[in-house]
Amino acid sequence: MIRYALTRGALLLLGLFVASALIFLTLRVLPGDVAQQIAGTNGTPEQVAAIRESLGLNAPLWAQYVDWIGGVFRGDLGTSLYTGLTVTAELAEKARVTVPLGILSLLFALAVSIPLGVLSALRRGRADGTALSVGAQAVAAVPVVWAGMMLVVVFAVWLGLLPAQGFPRGGWSQPVDALRALILPALTIGIIEGAMLLRFVRSATLQAIGQDYVRTAAAKGLTRNAALIRHGLPNVGLSVISVLGLQVAGIVVGAVIIEQLFSLPGIGRMLVSDVGARDLPMVQGELLILTGFVLLVGFFVDLVHRLLDPRQREAA
Amino acid sequence: MLRRTALAATALFAASALVLAGCTASTGPGPTGATGEPDADASVAIRLVLEPGNLDIRQTTGAALDQVLIDNVYQGLVSRTTDQEIVPALASDWEVSDDGLTYTFTLEEGVTFHDGQELTPQDVVWSLQTRKDTPEWADSARLANVSSITADGQTVTLTLAQPDSSLLWNLTGRAGIILKEGDTVDYQTAANGTGPFVLEEWQQGASITLTRNDAYWGDAAGVGEVVFQYIAEDQAAVNAAAAGEVDVLTGFDPNLTEQIEQSGDWTVVLGTATDKSVLAMNSTAAPLDDQRVRQAIRQAIDHDAIVEAVGAGQTLYGPIPEPDPGYEDLSDTAPYDPEAARALLEEAGVEDLELTLTIPADYGTTIPQILVSDFNEVGITLEVDAVDFGVWVNDVYTNKDYELSYVNHAEARDFENWANPDYYFTYDNPEVQDLYEQSLRATDEAEADALLAEAARIVAEDAAADWLFNWAGVSAVAAGINGMPVDSVNARLNLAELTKSDG
Repeated sequence: MIRYALTRGALLLLGLFVASALIFLTLRVLPGDVAQQIAGTNGTPEQVAAIRESLGLNAPLWAQYVDWIGGVFRGDLGTSLYTGLTVTAELAEKARVTVPLGILSLLFALAVSIPLGVLSALRRGRADGTALSVGAQAVAAVPVVWAGMMLVVVFAVWLGLLPAQGFPRGGWSQPVDALRALILPALTIGIIEGAMLLRFVRSATLQAIGQDYVRTAAAKGLTRNAALIRHGLPNVGLSVISVLGLQVAGIVVGAVIIEQLFSLPGIGRMLVSDVGARDLPMVQGELLILTGFVLLVGFFVDLVHRLLDPRQREAA
Repeated sequence: MLRRTALAATALFAASALVLAGCTASTGPGPTGATGEPDADASVAIRLVLEPGNLDIRQTTGAALDQVLIDNVYQGLVSRTTDQEIVPALASDWEVSDDGLTYTFTLEEGVTFHDGQELTPQDVVWSLQTRKDTPEWADSARLANVSSITADGQTVTLTLAQPDSSLLWNLTGRAGIILKEGDTVDYQTAANGTGPFVLEEWQQGASITLTRNDAYWGDAAGVGEVVFQYIAEDQAAVNAAAAGEVDVLTGFDPNLTEQIEQSGDWTVVLGTATDKSVLAMNSTAAPLDDQRVRQAIRQAIDHDAIVEAVGAGQTLYGPIPEPDPGYEDLSDTAPYDPEAARALLEEAGVEDLELTLTIPADYGTTIPQILVSDFNEVGITLEVDAVDFGVWVNDVYTNKDYELSYVNHAEARDFENWANPDYYFTYDNPEVQDLYEQSLRATDEAEADALLAEAARIVAEDAAADWLFNWAGVSAVAAGINGMPVDSVNARLNLAELTKSDG
C-alpha cells in the first residue's frame, strides 16, 4: 500500500511539473501584452516600454520560467502584474467563495444522483425508471448558463426567495446571506453534474444487481432489493468514489461559467478576467492550483479506493 | 482613444432590428417621475459592464476606472459636464492669458482629502509636475506643453511653452487628477481623493462601493451609498433588475426594453455619447491604399440599416461626433450608393476583392453580418475574423497587421489620432496634421473648432476610414432614481446629484 502511495505520489508530482511547463508555454503563445493593456490604446511607446521594464517582462522566457517555478517551490506563486497582490493572497481570498460553492455543488450532485440513480436501476424497464433515465440524459445535456438562468427566473425573479446574483459584501461574516447567495449557483452545477452522475450510479447499480454475491444473498432469502442495498450498494459507493475525481474537474469548469453568470467573486471569475487582462502570473498560479487540486483529488480517490476495495489490494 | 468599457457596451448590441418603444431621448440628468422625498441615506446599486483591473488612477488606463473614480472620488482643478462643458472643480475659477500661454487657477479653500489631510497648493503643483515627468502615468504626454507649474497662495499658475487649446480639456481627465503629495495609500486597491464619495470597498470580481464623504468641501452627495455591481451578462443584469437588486442598468441592450418594462417601473433612457464605431482601413497596402477603393467601401455601407439594427444611436460620416467641437454633418462625403461603389472599384481596376475584417469577439455578429452583405452587393468578399481583445490589441492596434477592423472609440475629442501617422489607423496626411497643430495652437476657441472641422472634412473625403455609427448610451433607470447621468456614461459617471426616493 505504501509503495503504491509513493509511486502514485511521484506520478502526481510529475504530472504537476508537466502541467506547469505546459501552462507556462501555452500562455506565452497567447498574443497580447499586459504592458500594452495597462497603458491602454492611447499609451505612448515610451510608456509601454517603461511599464514592460518595470514588470520584468523583458527577461528571456526560460529565465521567467525558472523564476516562476523556483518561487512555486518556495510557496510563492508570484505577484499580479495588475494589482501587485500576491497570487496566493488572491487565491485564498477567492477560495472562500469557490470552495464552498464546489462542496455545495458536489453535495447537491450526490443528493440527486445516488437515490435517483439506484431507483432508476431498480425500476429498470418500468415507466418511471425509464423516465428518470431519459430525464437524466436530457438534464446532463443542458447548457449550464441556461440552467442557471432558469433557476434565477423561478427562484429569484418569480418567487423572490433567493438572490439573483452577487455575494454579500461582508462575505462569511454574514453566513446566512453568504449561503443563500451560493444556493442557486450550486444547484445549477449540482443538478447538471448530478444528472451525469445519476447515469453512472444507475449502471453501477445494474452491474451490482447482476453480481453473484447479490444473487447468492437473494438465494439465502433476502428480497432482491434488500440484497442489493445490503451487499450491492457498498460496491456502488466504491464506483462512485472512483469517478469523483472527474466530477470535481467538472465542478471546477462549471464554477468558471457559473461565477460569471452569478457575479460571484470566486476563482473562476478571477481566472476569466485575468486571462482577458493578460495578467500571466495570476493565470499561471490559478491554473497551477486548479490543476494541482484536480490531480490531488484524483490521487486521494485512488488511495481511498484502494483502501476500501480489498480486491485491488490483493491485485497489487 | 479606445476604451474597453466601450468595447463591452458595443458587445451588447443584439442580433435583431427593433424599434425602441418607450425610449425617452434625454440630454439632461436622469429621468424624473419620482414623487416621494429623496432618502439622503439611500443606497443605490448601479450595474456596470466592465470592471477595472485595479484602482490605480495614476497608471492604469481605461474608462472602467474613470467611470467609478473620477469626479466621485478623485478630482482635478476642472471637470466636465456630460454636455462636454468644462466646469470648476478644485479650482473655483481660472483665467487664460490672451496669448494662451498662462493659465491661472484659484484653488478652493478648505478642501480635505478623504484621510483628513488638507489639500495644499503644493499638492496641486506636485501632482501635475509628477504626472508630466512620469511617462508610466496615464496621459502624461498631455502635459507636454506645460513648461512650469507654480503656486502662490491659493493661486496655481501653469505656464506653457506654446498655446494648447486642448489643455483645459485634458485637465478634466487623468492628466489633471490631484493627489496628496507623498501619500502612502496603496493606489491599486485603495484611494485617497477629495471627491464627494469615499471608496468604501472593492469586492474584486463583484462590486465597488462608494459612501458619501461627510466631510466634503462642496455640496454633499444626495445618497448615502453607491454600489457598482459588475454584471457582464445582459440577461443576468435584467434578472437582477427584476429581482430588485439593482436600481440602474448602464450599457442596457435596447432589445430587452420590453422585458424590463414588464418587470417593474423602469424607464429606458437614451443618452448622447461620443462613441464612434470606426471601421479602420489599413491603407499601407494595395488595394486599400487607393482612395477610390476606400471610398467604394464607404459608399457600399448602408449606415441607416446599421443604426436600425443596433437599436440606438445615429449615423456618423466623419471622425468628429456631434457632442464634440468641430462637428459638421459630413453625410455628403459617403452617401449610400452601391452602384457608385461598383463603378469606383471598376475604375480602380479592382476585381474579386477579398478582405478580412478583424474585430474583438465581444462585438457580436450584427454589424459584421450587415457588412458582409453590403460588401457582397458590390462584389467584395468579406471574411470576418473575431478575436480575443488581447489578440486585437496585439495584431491590429500594436502591429497594425490587419486590412479592416472596427472597434468603438468612446473617448471624447480624440481627433488627434487622425493626425498621428503612427496610430493604427495608418492615416498619414501632412495637411491634416498641420491643421490639427494649428487648431491646438489657436487661442480663439471658434478658430480652433473651425480648423478641426476643416481637418475632419479632409479625413472623411480621403475615406481614411468609415464611421459606422455614433452609439447612444442606453440606460434603464428604476422609478425613484433621480439625477442619474445618462449622457456619455461610458466615459464618466458623476454621481454627486444622484438621489433615490420610494415614490
